[in-house]
Amino acid sequence: MLKYTLRRLLGMIPMLLLISIVVFSLAMFMPGDPLGGEIDPTNSDPEYIEEMREKLGYNDPIHVQYWTWVTNFVQGDFGKSTQYKVQVSELVKSRMLNTLFLGISSIVITYIFAFAMGMTAGRKAYSKLDHFIGGLNYFGLAVPNYIAGVVIIYFFSFKLGWIPFGGSHEIGLQPGTLEYWISRFHYVLAPAIVLGALSTASYTQFLRNDIIESSRKDFVRTARAKGTSESKIYNSHILRNSLIPLITFLGFDIVTIVNGAVITEAIFTYPGIGTLFLNSVNNRDYSVLMTLTMFFSLLVLIGNLVADLLYGIVDPRIRID
Amino acid sequence: MKKSYWLVAMMLVLAMFLAACGGDDSEEQGNEDEGTEEESSDESSEEGTEEESSEEGSEEASGDGEPVDGGTLIYAIDSEPSGPLDINFYRSSTEAEINQFVQEGFIEYDEEFNPIPHLAEWETEDQKTYNFTIKEGVKWHNGDELTVNDWVFAIETLAHPDYTGPRWANVQTIEGAADFREGNAEEISGLNVKSDYEIEITFDKARVNNLLNLWTNPMNQTAFEGIEVAEMEESAPSMTEIVGTGPFKVKNTSAGEYYELEKNEDYWQGEPHLDGLTVRVVANTSVIGALENGEVDMVPVHPTQGKEADALDNVSVITYPGVSYYYVGFKLGVFDKEAGEIVEDKEKYSNKKLRQALWHAIDREQWIETFFGGYGKTLNAPIPTSHWIAADNDDLKQYEYSTEKAKELLAEAGYEDTNGDGFVEDPEGNEFVLSFSHYDTGNPSFETRAQALVQQWEAVGVKSELEMVEVQNYYEMIENDDPAIEAFFGGWSVGADPDPTALWASDQLWNYPRFNNEEADQLLEDALDVEVVGDDKDKRKDVYTEWQKLVNEEAPALIIGELEEVYAVNERVGGLEYDVTGFNNAMNWFVTDGADK
Repeated sequence: MLKYTLRRLLGMIPMLLLISIVVFSLAMFMPGDPLGGEIDPTNSDPEYIEEMREKLGYNDPIHVQYWTWVTNFVQGDFGKSTQYKVQVSELVKSRMLNTLFLGISSIVITYIFAFAMGMTAGRKAYSKLDHFIGGLNYFGLAVPNYIAGVVIIYFFSFKLGWIPFGGSHEIGLQPGTLEYWISRFHYVLAPAIVLGALSTASYTQFLRNDIIESSRKDFVRTARAKGTSESKIYNSHILRNSLIPLITFLGFDIVTIVNGAVITEAIFTYPGIGTLFLNSVNNRDYSVLMTLTMFFSLLVLIGNLVADLLYGIVDPRIRID
Repeated sequence: MKKSYWLVAMMLVLAMFLAACGGDDSEEQGNEDEGTEEESSDESSEEGTEEESSEEGSEEASGDGEPVDGGTLIYAIDSEPSGPLDINFYRSSTEAEINQFVQEGFIEYDEEFNPIPHLAEWETEDQKTYNFTIKEGVKWHNGDELTVNDWVFAIETLAHPDYTGPRWANVQTIEGAADFREGNAEEISGLNVKSDYEIEITFDKARVNNLLNLWTNPMNQTAFEGIEVAEMEESAPSMTEIVGTGPFKVKNTSAGEYYELEKNEDYWQGEPHLDGLTVRVVANTSVIGALENGEVDMVPVHPTQGKEADALDNVSVITYPGVSYYYVGFKLGVFDKEAGEIVEDKEKYSNKKLRQALWHAIDREQWIETFFGGYGKTLNAPIPTSHWIAADNDDLKQYEYSTEKAKELLAEAGYEDTNGDGFVEDPEGNEFVLSFSHYDTGNPSFETRAQALVQQWEAVGVKSELEMVEVQNYYEMIENDDPAIEAFFGGWSVGADPDPTALWASDQLWNYPRFNNEEADQLLEDALDVEVVGDDKDKRKDVYTEWQKLVNEEAPALIIGELEEVYAVNERVGGLEYDVTGFNNAMNWFVTDGADK
């Protein structure tokens, strides 16, 4: 297992290098540069803009720019944001906690809902309740989360006043206090549900189908014949088997946490990585943009690895060496 | 493994696509075209209202009589401030929305954009040397007393070779600033500190707009103590913990989310009524709902959202004339960046009558009504009417909407339909197709509004094609005179200095239509020449009027209209006064239920 992990980790290096070329070229293919947005007679003049282009190296040949970026990147220098004027690492660090908080809340909510709904639906397969849950899930799958976000804000925030329409916590609370954390949970609820809607729906259906399938298997029939109670059969015999494929999704969840947040965060004006990423694309803030894309790519690779490792752990039949 | 590679590629592509969709509101900050829709001057002054503003103004009279102390006002902005907030380093109008409450300059502007004393008074004999006297006893938020040394500190920072901000242009006219920047001098020779409260500033030559161009904001020396100039921009006192002398001081910030300001009890003009003022970032999609719920008290809204906000019971809409305009430009030449002049003329749109015909062909009033909610009015020359140099509209050709007139002019110019296809051919008999470009931010209304212009041109028989160009590429193409750009849509937001030289003189990069007219250049030069106009404002205005008449007649660009600034304000807010330069000092604002909260 250790050997396998190491091998996979080593394999990531050429992978990342290739990705870096793609990321860099795509960033360069984007029309314009960050200074285009500063053309404004009240605020700057053409000489300044030209001077900055030179200073920032935008006039250098492409391969020189790429080399500078990669060498700095490897040494942990992600550059300075042209838009925010601070080191990218600082910037990402300051936003990361918010996104992690949102992502973890989203996963927890997803799992709670998925388990509750999936098990009910699986046990009472083809009943009205099952169809209702199924309908709900397909609805969740069908509605894009930017629409869901806006609709949720409209009803639950503006019409009912249950949840705030945006932000990460109530204005004026001191970080660290109990009130602060309560407020944070309150504020993260809606974006977390929206963010998790898609995976909740797919997990529920996945779990339901698996439970139905398992309930027809021989070992379940044997257990029934032995007189084991229905609840024990479902909660212990079947669930344990159905969990296996589900757990492996955890690896991919790591990816969804960060990636999926891009749109959701923007809608809920939640100050996390997602909003940062969108802003950096809009403003051609190359250093932030490329760092985040590299970071997302790394997460995908790690997510895949975690998924593969988890397979081996939960299902001893699968051996990885 | 292969999958993850594609995932990344897909993601970037998707992200770009999404950015294009959602780009509208944040794009508005950055590009001048959209920047025109933003507030561009952060000075406030105390003057009444005008036109449609007045009825809204009186609606608020309920609170105007008796100001109430206490309470917090929530001021919303639609995209997050990104760079430094400090006035000496900030970049976009979004950051100005915050520092306008915290920092203030030595001079302000009246409703005609004439400089008026604020923290400083000045005297000048020859428009070359100015003597400034600043108010005594004004305290910074950190307790320091404001002296002219803070001003010198600001100017020396801006002139420092390591300075990373965009404001060198505001100090380069000071005598000796260039030497200082090149490292030939220890200090700027044009700055002569006479005492803590008096300073003499000498410019390299007499100009009529020396004062308007000068950087008149102080910079706190204690806050930036021990920070290298190169590092200043990203340091805390520049990014978030900004220090000023204004009515509010920074209490607490949550980057990208909200900026909590509290009143400056020792404000030199008196204690503000509000206990606090919070600037909050609210996504465009949520603004109307938040206003209705009372979660936001005051917000600059996009003209297209104005009507929607006006329909709310608890909200009134305030408008005041802005200093931005939109135009359709024609590429009349090619600019050489190295030489700094227009080196080549383009023939296609060189016929003046053709351009005038196209101007007559558009129904500008209807267009502004449809696409800007009527929050604007037509304009016939590239000077917003609020500027004191703006020519009397009666002196200008009106270019009223008339398809007849347009067709007449086309015929006079020799553009006639010779092959019977319903569209005109050029005088040589070749097919004539007007190629019109408009920027694309993903906002669907942009294509509609551009299409509306194209249809009106086709209605008078000019075959037209619309090209939507990705916004980030758009201005680069225009700036480089890319052959793909022929006629284009653009806009400028101009500041307190009314002088249009930077945008319309033939030796300027930002003269996008490449308008090349010796007479016009001469007029612009004269208007700034102390020898010609001295300090006689009427004389200056006459020269500018001549220039506007010329541009109006020559029509290098079809000026469409100027936009108003539109604000939605909750009824509980009182004490607001506004004019073209913006709102009055926030120290006078209050909320009617302030005491209860």
